[in-house]
Amino acid sequence: MKPSNKPPVVTCPTCGAAVPWTVESKWKPFCSERCKMIDLGQWATEKYRVPAEEQEPDDESPQPQ
Amino acid sequence: MNTMSDKPDNAMPDDMNGGYDEDSIQQLEGLEAVRKRPGMYIGDTSDGTGLHHMVFEVLDNAIDEALAGWCDDIKVIIHPDNSISISDNGRGIPVGVKFDDKHEPKRSAAEIVMTVLHAGGKFNQNSYKVSGGLHGVGVSCVNGLSKWLKLIVRRDGKKYAMTFHQGKVVDRPIEIQNGVEVSPMQIVGDAEGRGTEVHFLADEEIFGVGKVEFHFDILAKRIRELSFLNNGVKIELIDHRDGKSENFAHSGGVKGFVEYMSRLKNPLHPKIFSAIGEKDGMTVEVAMQWNDSYTETVQCFTNNIPQRDGGTHLTGLRMAMTRVLNKYIEENEVAKKAKVETTGDDMREGLTCVLSVKVPEPKFSSQTKDKLVSSEVQPVVQEVVGQKLAEFLLENPNDAKLLCAKIVDAARAREAARKAREITRRKGVMDGLGLPGKLADCQEKDPALCEIYLVEGDSAGGSAKQGRDRKFQAILPLKGKILNVERARFDKVIGSQEIATLITALGTSIGKDDYNPDKLRYHRIIIMTDADVDGAHIRTLLLTFFYRQMPELVERGHIYIAQPPLYKVKHGRSERYIKDEHALKEHLMAEAMKDAELTPMDGAMPISGEALEILAREYFLAEAVSERLARLLPDDVLQALMRIPRLSLADSNAAMMAEASLGAALDAQKFEIAAEYISETDTHRLRITRHAHGNAYVNFLEDDLLESGDYNQLVKVGDLLRDLIGLGARAKRGEKEASVQSFREAMDWFLAEVKRGMSIQRYKGLGEMNPAQLWETTMDPKVRRLMKVQIEDAISSDQIFTTLMGDDVEPRRNFIETNALGVRNLDV
Repeated sequence: MKPSNKPPVVTCPTCGAAVPWTVESKWKPFCSERCKMIDLGQWATEKYRVPAEEQEPDDESPQPQ
Repeated sequence: MNTMSDKPDNAMPDDMNGGYDEDSIQQLEGLEAVRKRPGMYIGDTSDGTGLHHMVFEVLDNAIDEALAGWCDDIKVIIHPDNSISISDNGRGIPVGVKFDDKHEPKRSAAEIVMTVLHAGGKFNQNSYKVSGGLHGVGVSCVNGLSKWLKLIVRRDGKKYAMTFHQGKVVDRPIEIQNGVEVSPMQIVGDAEGRGTEVHFLADEEIFGVGKVEFHFDILAKRIRELSFLNNGVKIELIDHRDGKSENFAHSGGVKGFVEYMSRLKNPLHPKIFSAIGEKDGMTVEVAMQWNDSYTETVQCFTNNIPQRDGGTHLTGLRMAMTRVLNKYIEENEVAKKAKVETTGDDMREGLTCVLSVKVPEPKFSSQTKDKLVSSEVQPVVQEVVGQKLAEFLLENPNDAKLLCAKIVDAARAREAARKAREITRRKGVMDGLGLPGKLADCQEKDPALCEIYLVEGDSAGGSAKQGRDRKFQAILPLKGKILNVERARFDKVIGSQEIATLITALGTSIGKDDYNPDKLRYHRIIIMTDADVDGAHIRTLLLTFFYRQMPELVERGHIYIAQPPLYKVKHGRSERYIKDEHALKEHLMAEAMKDAELTPMDGAMPISGEALEILAREYFLAEAVSERLARLLPDDVLQALMRIPRLSLADSNAAMMAEASLGAALDAQKFEIAAEYISETDTHRLRITRHAHGNAYVNFLEDDLLESGDYNQLVKVGDLLRDLIGLGARAKRGEKEASVQSFREAMDWFLAEVKRGMSIQRYKGLGEMNPAQLWETTMDPKVRRLMKVQIEDAISSDQIFTTLMGDDVEPRRNFIETNALGVRNLDV
């Protein structure tokens, strides 16, 4: 690999380690199986949240036309 | 026996006894038995294990001498003919004649040791308190399996020698002592120092012709082990075949052993735990260090013999470790924060450990000594390790902290893996065919031709199900789950049920053993969400999930984002869907320029048609630039930049002119302009202070903005329009007419006019479209636009997500709104 074509380096979402985006990085974007599984566990237990529009009542669906 | 060939096996042979009589019962004398069945005594003679054991048997005697404290220097030499000599500086095997020997002539003690099975000094505890020996068969076996063996003993200033051939003494000298026939060991000279030297050549008759070939590395590994386990003993391995040699003068004992084992790993904490303790005649030595890997490497030894399968000593160690570490973690509330419970397994991850016990009469589960079963060992190990480990943690809080963090991490990972496994095994996810009940699957079975729409919300999902082409388009409605985090703060998640449904629908499964991207059932996964902030959030969540847990799908280009239109424009009878605001402006402008005329000033020729359209297009481009730059500079300043000639901040002169020029173009009551010089970057800039409502707001006009294409566009439009509009300017469209003061006013009037006859509907959600509209705008492959998600998009999505996950609500909200995923269009 030419030095000018360095693969992109991403950050392991779990531990913050640098992970090159290459075939050798088996668990990318994670640094390890461990970190990947911890992340999957977070999804499985609904730990990952984004802010919702406030007071959005969930059952108010638009009228069908 | 040859008569048996035509008889059944169980038939009586002619002589009724098959030649099986007292003559066929052999009484194998001494070493003959060893030569007959060498494998029983020394291990496999065909694969090299037995051959190397020959060395270890002799070496163990030397080590025993060292353990007893009589020897500290051992040499193992591989000679060019693959004979081996092992010498030590111990007491030397006793050479005197044993007068209680029943053999005639009476033999020397040394000869008995070399020729009689189970003879030696190990069987009473006086000479050797503890002793090793891989198989406990002793050096006589080695003698029996050697083509020749030369024994040299240095003792009491004399050098004694004796030679054997296949276990039998060569040229036995016979003397009469005290009227009894004896065969003493011959003195061959004087000796300096003392010790035993055994030199042997393994017999090719036993090990195979050409098979007597020693491996340096196999010998080195065991010798290294022995030198670590017997602190202070120097063992040198010298290979005369190629001149290679290694001196295993490893000090540091088991601690040094752990250091050696960890040499290629990254230790997690700097200080190795090590302890030595003695109780009830047993000695326990242990060393432990944790590294950042997840595998455990534990080596257990009893009297220098390795136990592959552990045993009571290892059980004692584990119990002590679990108890002490759990107690420490509990007392220091390390696990409380992580909300996990730690187990013994969590403590084993990344552990490198050497446990060595010296026990007087150890019991093993088998001849190979792979497992220690002496029950008295366990409590001793447990007590020694428990006490010393607790002390270590107290005295080394830094190491303890690092170690506990690792253990808690391991517990978290174990817990996460369990949850992750559960996710796909949930009840109620699948229907009879193993697919989620919520999925409206397509008819096509070839994944390359199939698409799946992941649609946010049930109502939009319903429209999509009705509007789709069921031949190749599947629909999976996904609903974000709203959680009330605290009063007036709501969070959205993709429920674990939804994740499970998604994974099942895609067919790839998930987790370390099951995940297989090749099993993907649809080669286009199209995320279709509302074009609002919530929709963007759900999209970010989904993209982040794919990027993290199924990155291959992104890499292979399977993930797309649907682009539903933002506007519907109705003009008379025609209806048009328009993708975004920019396109809406373009459309409105094109419509507005129809039949439009601009008379720039009294008496001037009216501009219309293509000329007016070009002017308008440039103007709208400049408008777009102004909107973009509105974050950096106040609108008044941007408008002023269009009115005045090109500014420069290249040097201090230019900066002063810029200051004057911009100042003149602005209301002096509201704006203060000052040129500044930044010495660090050697650049000039304009400080713009805006006074409003008693407050002062400061912006800077930087040199690099003046070098940008954006500024070029502003100047270009400024030049085009500067002296265009004069007194009496009029805008006219069809029958209508209005007088205008500026080009901007004219454009606003044209747009207002064209909007008058139009209805513009902004779609806030997918649910506002009926199935037919959804199909013809967003799902019909002939007209729809899809954005293919590239890995870079996924990476930036992950970054957005990480910010969103932050605790400060406002920054994360602002972030998502200003960083909506960069969209790359791809018409498919």
